[in-house]
Amino acid sequence: MPPVAPGSESSTALIAAIAAGDRDAFSRFYDLTAPMAFGLIRRVLRDPEAAAEVLQEVFWQVWQDAPRYDPKRGSPEAWLVMRAKTRAIDRLRSIRRRDRTFVAPVDESVTQGSPDRAPDPAVVAEDRGLIQTALAQLPEAQRRVIELAFFEGLTQSEIATRLGEPLGTVKTRTRLGLDRLRGVLGRERLSAT
Amino acid sequence: MNRDEIDELAAAYALGGLEGEERVRFEALLEAGDPDAVRALRDCEDTLVGLAAAAPESPPPAVKAALMERIAATPASVRTLPRRSRALWPVVLSGAMAAGLAAVVVGWSVSSTYEKRLDALVQSAERLRAELRSQQAVIAILRDPATQVVVLAGLPPAPGARARMMWHAQAGGVFVATGLPAPPDGKAYQLWAIAGSNAPVSAGVFTVDAAGTGSLAVRPLPGVAAVNAFAVTLEPAGGLPAPSGEMYLLGKS
Repeated sequence: MPPVAPGSESSTALIAAIAAGDRDAFSRFYDLTAPMAFGLIRRVLRDPEAAAEVLQEVFWQVWQDAPRYDPKRGSPEAWLVMRAKTRAIDRLRSIRRRDRTFVAPVDESVTQGSPDRAPDPAVVAEDRGLIQTALAQLPEAQRRVIELAFFEGLTQSEIATRLGEPLGTVKTRTRLGLDRLRGVLGRERLSAT
Repeated sequence: MNRDEIDELAAAYALGGLEGEERVRFEALLEAGDPDAVRALRDCEDTLVGLAAAAPESPPPAVKAALMERIAATPASVRTLPRRSRALWPVVLSGAMAAGLAAVVVGWSVSSTYEKRLDALVQSAERLRAELRSQQAVIAILRDPATQVVVLAGLPPAPGARARMMWHAQAGGVFVATGLPAPPDGKAYQLWAIAGSNAPVSAGVFTVDAAGTGSLAVRPLPGVAAVNAFAVTLEPAGGLPAPSGEMYLLGKS
């Protein structure tokens, strides 16, 4: 799949066409962006079936909400990735809530066996070489806060509690980490085009 | 607010981890169209897009097939159109021929500004409603005379620990604990309800903050009528079906 620069004319034009009810445009937008969205959802939810369900929900939302897409707020890719991330984290939280309350659901035998939890980032990193390459260029402390937030859906104060660090430190690391990542990814994008 | 602060808020917001007053403050900046906030958020989101794009994965073909089928079966009129204005376009357009496009363009941009503001308000109202519902559930439990309060005392691993369980057999309960040590990596505390001579039933897993305080909302436990005791043990992070670790707290009702 060729990389699409965020906000490139084609994806913006496709969203406009989708907003007007163009099914072919939807099909093309899906082909262009679904692998990126699915990669992200899979990183949050290990269970492939749950991930496929979330992907379908996300793109159904794309079809329904395209008329409300506002290019001033960001690229269509960002619009999509934020939705995919939110939905995947929502699903992860509902799975965790179910685990935590431990009120035996009818399908408990199924849920207990399914590896739905957020995978250990270190384990996933092995089979996700490229994300690893980008994240590996961050200092460990910055990488950790971004992973906990983006792939596990922890809030800033939850991260502070988890790591036993002051909230202010977490905030600063998050900002510095994203800054650094922007530099790393920017270099890759330049070398790809 | 300086650049760094805005960048910090934007980074946390893009990652989905901004809460409370800071979230309200940042959303207000976005609503107001603050150029620094909008730019900072775009930068962060584009970075995260880059991160997602670095590890694409082909989705199963069935997903697209199902979507295309669902879309083909949806008449265009059923789709969620932007509230109010979009559905009025045909009317508005014909009127525009006479009234002059300029007026419509102004009206459109004003109404879309209000729509966005309204959307933000609706979302924040929904969040507040959800919060209110959970608070009301807690208050209802506290006010019910059938609610028992069980005091749990610390055992040898944490003699200073204390906890209270406000328990209502039909409505569930609220559990709060203090003075517990932070669980080691991969471990968490698990609360158990013990009824008669039956095996303990899990009432959930919780962890504690840096101050050693933790809490848990407990749903009613099906099949558990009268609880004689609550206990807390240290277990693997996801909890176990039966207690295996050391007991930290115990209280009889």
